[in-house]
Amino acid sequence: MIKAKLKPIAEIREMLAPYEKVLILGCGTCVTISFAGGEKEVGLLASSLRIAEAMNGQAKTFAEATVQRQCEWEFLDEVAEQINRADAVLSLACGIGVQALAERYPDKVILPGVNTTFLGMAVEHGVLVERCRACGDCVLGQTAGICPIARCAKNLLNGPCGGSQEGKCEVNPELDCAWQLIYERLERLGMLDRMNLFQPPKDWSKDYDGGPRKIVREDLRL
Amino acid sequence: MKVGSNLEKVLAAGHFAATGELGPPKSADAEVIRKKAGLLRGYVDAVNITDNQTAIVRMSSISVGVMLLQEGLEPTIQMTCRDRNRLAIQADLLGAAALGIPNLLCLTGDHQSFGNHATARGVYDLDSMQLLNMVRAMRDDKQFACGEEISVEPRFFIGAASNPFADPFDFRPQRLANKIAAGADFVQTQLIYNVPKFAEFMKRVVDMGLHEKCYILAGVGPIKSVGMARYMQNNVPGLDVPEDIVARLKGVPKEEVRQEGLKQCAEIIQQCREIPGVAGVHVMAIEWEAAVPQILELAGLLPRPQV
Amino acid sequence: MSDKNDGPARGQEPVPPCVAACPAHTDVRGYVNAIARGDFEEAYRIAREPNPLPYVCGKVCAHPCEDECRRGDVDEPIAIAALKRFATERHDLSLGHAPGLTVAEPKEQRVAVIGSGPGGLTAAHDLARLGYQVTVFEANEELGGMLQVGIPPYRLPRETIDLEVAPLKELGIEFVTGQRVEDVDALLNDGYDAVYIGVGSHMGRKLRLPNVELPDVWINTEFLHRVASGEKIDLSGRHVLVLGGGNVAIDCARTAVRLGAVEVSMTCLEGADNMPAHDWEIEEAEDEGVKMYPSRTFKECVLDDDGHIAGMRCVQVDFRGFLPEGGLDMDEFVDTDHVLAADLIIFAIGQGPDLSLLPEDGSIAQTRRRTIEVDPKTMATTKPGVFAGGDAVTGVGFIIDAIGAAHTAARSIDAYLQGLDPAALQPPDPVKLGDLQEKTVSHIRPLDREGMPKLAVDQRKATFGEVDLGYSEAQAVRAAQRCLTCGAGATVDTDKCIACLTCVRVCPYEVPLLTRGTAEVVFDQCQACGLCASECPAKAITMTLYTDEDMLRDIKQAVDMAAGNGKPAIVGFACRYCAYAGQEPEVVKATLPENVQTVDVLCSGKVDALYLLKAFEYGADGVFVAGCLDGECHNEKGNVHADQRVGYIKGLLDEIGIGGARLEMFNLSPQQCADMTTAVGTLAATLEELGPSPVRRH
Repeated sequence: MIKAKLKPIAEIREMLAPYEKVLILGCGTCVTISFAGGEKEVGLLASSLRIAEAMNGQAKTFAEATVQRQCEWEFLDEVAEQINRADAVLSLACGIGVQALAERYPDKVILPGVNTTFLGMAVEHGVLVERCRACGDCVLGQTAGICPIARCAKNLLNGPCGGSQEGKCEVNPELDCAWQLIYERLERLGMLDRMNLFQPPKDWSKDYDGGPRKIVREDLRL
Repeated sequence: MKVGSNLEKVLAAGHFAATGELGPPKSADAEVIRKKAGLLRGYVDAVNITDNQTAIVRMSSISVGVMLLQEGLEPTIQMTCRDRNRLAIQADLLGAAALGIPNLLCLTGDHQSFGNHATARGVYDLDSMQLLNMVRAMRDDKQFACGEEISVEPRFFIGAASNPFADPFDFRPQRLANKIAAGADFVQTQLIYNVPKFAEFMKRVVDMGLHEKCYILAGVGPIKSVGMARYMQNNVPGLDVPEDIVARLKGVPKEEVRQEGLKQCAEIIQQCREIPGVAGVHVMAIEWEAAVPQILELAGLLPRPQV
Repeated sequence: MSDKNDGPARGQEPVPPCVAACPAHTDVRGYVNAIARGDFEEAYRIAREPNPLPYVCGKVCAHPCEDECRRGDVDEPIAIAALKRFATERHDLSLGHAPGLTVAEPKEQRVAVIGSGPGGLTAAHDLARLGYQVTVFEANEELGGMLQVGIPPYRLPRETIDLEVAPLKELGIEFVTGQRVEDVDALLNDGYDAVYIGVGSHMGRKLRLPNVELPDVWINTEFLHRVASGEKIDLSGRHVLVLGGGNVAIDCARTAVRLGAVEVSMTCLEGADNMPAHDWEIEEAEDEGVKMYPSRTFKECVLDDDGHIAGMRCVQVDFRGFLPEGGLDMDEFVDTDHVLAADLIIFAIGQGPDLSLLPEDGSIAQTRRRTIEVDPKTMATTKPGVFAGGDAVTGVGFIIDAIGAAHTAARSIDAYLQGLDPAALQPPDPVKLGDLQEKTVSHIRPLDREGMPKLAVDQRKATFGEVDLGYSEAQAVRAAQRCLTCGAGATVDTDKCIACLTCVRVCPYEVPLLTRGTAEVVFDQCQACGLCASECPAKAITMTLYTDEDMLRDIKQAVDMAAGNGKPAIVGFACRYCAYAGQEPEVVKATLPENVQTVDVLCSGKVDALYLLKAFEYGADGVFVAGCLDGECHNEKGNVHADQRVGYIKGLLDEIGIGGARLEMFNLSPQQCADMTTAVGTLAATLEELGPSPVRRH
């Protein structure tokens, strides 16, 4: 799922400086699950901003709303009235939602309240880790289910590099070396000889290097 | 003979090779190169020039390589995957070959977060294995990475790095084999301080017959101070600095540590010479190029053979 | 609340077993929770609502609710009756006996109620509130029925009965005492449109054994009636044997002790483990020196040389029960004849109603056991317009049964008098919650049931003074906090639920499940700890017993009360399990200065991070959370979550610039409430240094 993190309050306040009536719009899907932009977080942020406003004797108002998903046009339409009443919308959705809002409401100032950080999962409650880089050409079948693009700092396809020490990555000793994990998993599956297969250079044109991507399903179009 | 460089000829003749290393300046000052060249001239078979080592911006390896040629030394340029995509790499290599640079060390590269431009994008279009393979294909198949033919191919004596001390430890000899299969003609190892562990590694390498397919040069380097020893022990991933190495330096008065470090380095060279499969040493005296002649003298590797 | 909530269908919400077991379906959960929260008037109001005799029941109810209490699966049931007693004792009677209960417009129809026991009084009360003209006929001089003439004052003081009766007189009910109704039909002919028969079972009986007709062989009901009417019976030096093992036998025995008997024993058919009397009454009797001789049948009253009663010849038996067609399922043990010595024998082996008032034509039918036959759903007898309930129908039963039957009868009479089917106005039987699952039980913190303070045994034996003294406030609050709040916990709005699994992971009791793609807080199992609701990132979970709106209102009020006296306005969220449990809550609150106002919660885990921010938004200078010590939380780790939230909000407060030092969490042991005042003092000192909140400056 997409994971995000609330922007620092100071940065948010700076973005909101020119606007008086602000709508804080939450999203009920990915950012709710990463505890960054759901209805609860909307409430906490609104209260924080009101406190900050009151401290500085300013008169901004903060309305609060949350839609099920900001990446669907229909759900965005549901809050048209609240959006129209606002001078600016602070969206707590991921970058997709923010852009959808901007496209749906092109005359409105739409601002991002979270930093969309990665595609990942909660390995334990409250601990979110990156797992996928959406490279468009999945090689997990060759690496025993551990992604070298997302989990290796150098996205090596023929790893490990010389900086792998005690199973940890040289870049961050708290990070597992992805290639150590791949090695161990291949060993467990009795497929260690795969470490000797030469993986040719990746076709990065399938990743965003090839430009923004699109999938069209003709069989689904209405 | 792949290229006929001095290094290649020394190794092919069966001599125990000795290479040195030169760290370029963090400036456009060409005088630094001339000075360092002077310190190394005549004492080593070839000189490595690092490529933005530890992700710190320095004068580029190829440009320094050209300057060394002018100074009468043989350069081994280094090329990492961190800063350039396959287009830039191939273009630079065409130019390097055209400028007469004979030896090339292919590396993945230290991650940019270690250096002075930690917010930069890391390219990593290729990894070191793919780089080796590409360079060999350029030389032997006369082909670019995209498959197009090269009319006049760049010819390099191709080197790779090997770290016997990284994990998974059991896999490292096999990884060396993979690099050789990909195209490595010679290999320089990470700094060796744990000689028994290196010997263990070399035993397996020799069992696999890799020493006959590729020249293996042991990486060595003098430790200047106890502080430096500790730092290398704790803060540099992939380095194995056993406690007795540190203890030896602690055991001498402060003003004698540098000299002791030199002696220690020379002894390690001699020990490595005894290990079957080791074809030479690569001396890395970081910002202490003057130490290289002393070390090689102590190790009995001077004068260098003329081939 | 969305229709898609995961709770049960509207109108048939399952009730906790206590509510279902109470014949009046008292909202036990409601009043116990109110006591736990410290809202004692609310507790009284809830307890009073279905029961016009809460003071009486608080003291002598047989509390069938406690037998069904699910806390019994964990340790001991909740002390439901003792808590009702506490609520009545704290009720301010100047607010009225029935605050908030209405009386309908007067109607013309007249109803006669025969008998002023708990059933008759309840029927009269209900009908009077419905607007009918009610007359109660009581054969005795005093009102109360068995309350007055059967239950001794050491269990139920006379003043308590008077207290319950007085407001009934104010309802306009006409009480006619000293008048025995001889003929039901006569009442109907006299212009009464309906009759309720609540004559009780006041006729005790003897067995047909040799010598039972002698003077020193008494009957339970007569004995107790004489004592209740004020007759001074002196039993000094007497050896008394009570025959029977039920509650009335115990009343006779303990009364005999107080009348000076030198030795009092009880003997009965049932074995020691099966005596029909309540366990706690048996215990109290034994504490007062009454000796029990169970598993015996009685053969004859033995005489001394002067022809006076000297004892009862008994034989030991294995008694297994009364057979449905009559007779005993029992074996006598051969050669076990023995005499239990006594010079006064009191029969307490059963009672029945005096049905002489019923018409001789049998138009009001009787059961085979010679009680009044009624339709159990409506309490209607076989004669239209005549209804009956209580001991006159069931034989000896509980006060609360009579009350429940009277409610049913009153509804039936109301329907009947409107020409409706009496069954039409009866509410459906409540649906009961299921059993607690074992894994949830394993997480519930065992807590001792509070002992009821009692008069010392030697004092008890000498007087008819009340034995039970009632809970102190601290005891009552602790006792109430043991309640599991069955079926009044969290509910998930499935429209908002995103199945993030937070509630499943956070619940200390392993209650939530994933059902059809969204979370479900299993209604029967939820312990109402509030953690899922305060952790849910989608705000999809609401609590039955309080809402965010309630809390925010309380917080605003607290800030307003704390502010404006020149000192830092401090709002505290105080967990009642620790912040007050050791002492009287009002005592602790009184030691806090006016600028410190608390919002009480049942567990610090209920303090949502938002509440902390809101307190500052409303203008508080400082905020604290007082929770239990590590490892002591009532809900395992509510305090841990509270602590984590405090840490997070402190960070936010620093980011905003108002300063995280204005917010603190204290961990307290219930025995150390003084620590809260000390801790608050430390915070106050910090706030003096930091100055007033910049929010309020503007």
